[in-house]
Amino acid sequence: MDARGAWYLVGPAMGLVVVGLLWVANRPLGALGGWIDLHALMRRPSEKAGWRLFFLAGIVGGGLLHALLAGGPQPTFAYAGPSAPLSSPLVLGLAGALMGYGARTAGGCTSGHGICGTALGSPASFVATMTFMATAIAVANVVTRVLLGGGS
Amino acid sequence: MRSRWIAVPFGVAFGFLIAWGHLTDPQVIRSMLLLREADVFLLMGSAMAVGATGAHLLRAFGARSLVGREPITWTRTRPGRNHVIGSIIFGLGWSIACTCPGPIAAQLGAGQLAALFTGTGLLVGIGLRGWQAARTKATPPGDGTTAAAGL
Repeated sequence: MDARGAWYLVGPAMGLVVVGLLWVANRPLGALGGWIDLHALMRRPSEKAGWRLFFLAGIVGGGLLHALLAGGPQPTFAYAGPSAPLSSPLVLGLAGALMGYGARTAGGCTSGHGICGTALGSPASFVATMTFMATAIAVANVVTRVLLGGGS
Repeated sequence: MRSRWIAVPFGVAFGFLIAWGHLTDPQVIRSMLLLREADVFLLMGSAMAVGATGAHLLRAFGARSLVGREPITWTRTRPGRNHVIGSIIFGLGWSIACTCPGPIAAQLGAGQLAALFTGTGLLVGIGLRGWQAARTKATPPGDGTTAAAGL
């Protein structure tokens, strides 16, 4: 289970999860909403958590389930990010803040816009997906080739 | 209001697939963004194709949701400036951390504790956007619950 699942198995299966959630609960899949619900719950703990937080909690559980099948989670703070300086807690936190601010502005993230919204044919999701893909590809290449001197 | 618990098994399945596809591994995302491998693009493309096919079959057969017996519907949103500007900012953060909101949650479950940093940042960014929107009395588009508006 430790081996990486092939894209032609994982991708279509994710598509089935999108369809399943739509069929069973008439809900669009996306990870960002759960984080928004979590933020709302942290601000007002007395209010009822939204369904999207339950979906997000499920994702955490799915990560744990996979780790258990792959020999148990081995908790670590090590992060094989782009390079050592870019993997510091401060930079990761800043990157997280950019993602949270940006995704909430755009109304979705890689799963919500990139997989579900495009599957449902929403023009805004195609625009959002093309924009964050192009931006991330451009920035990653510039950072790697220019700032990090083309290192691996 | 139907049970919110029904979302949990779908989350588990999605999180498991994220981890199985090693989308929790920042090096996999990095290889994708540096265009060193096509796998994640193919993964997302095939997920989208299957999702689109299934969603249109549901609509063609006039299916109702199994919980709540609602007609299955979704909204299509016209692109606006917020989708472009927000996605540029999102893409910037994504390219730095080489992870995104779904994989961050799966990383937490898998014991990749650096996700605590990215996850905390995510909540701060979400809060900042909400605070800004409250000041200008505009609702962030991410707060809806319809397909294209609130993911």
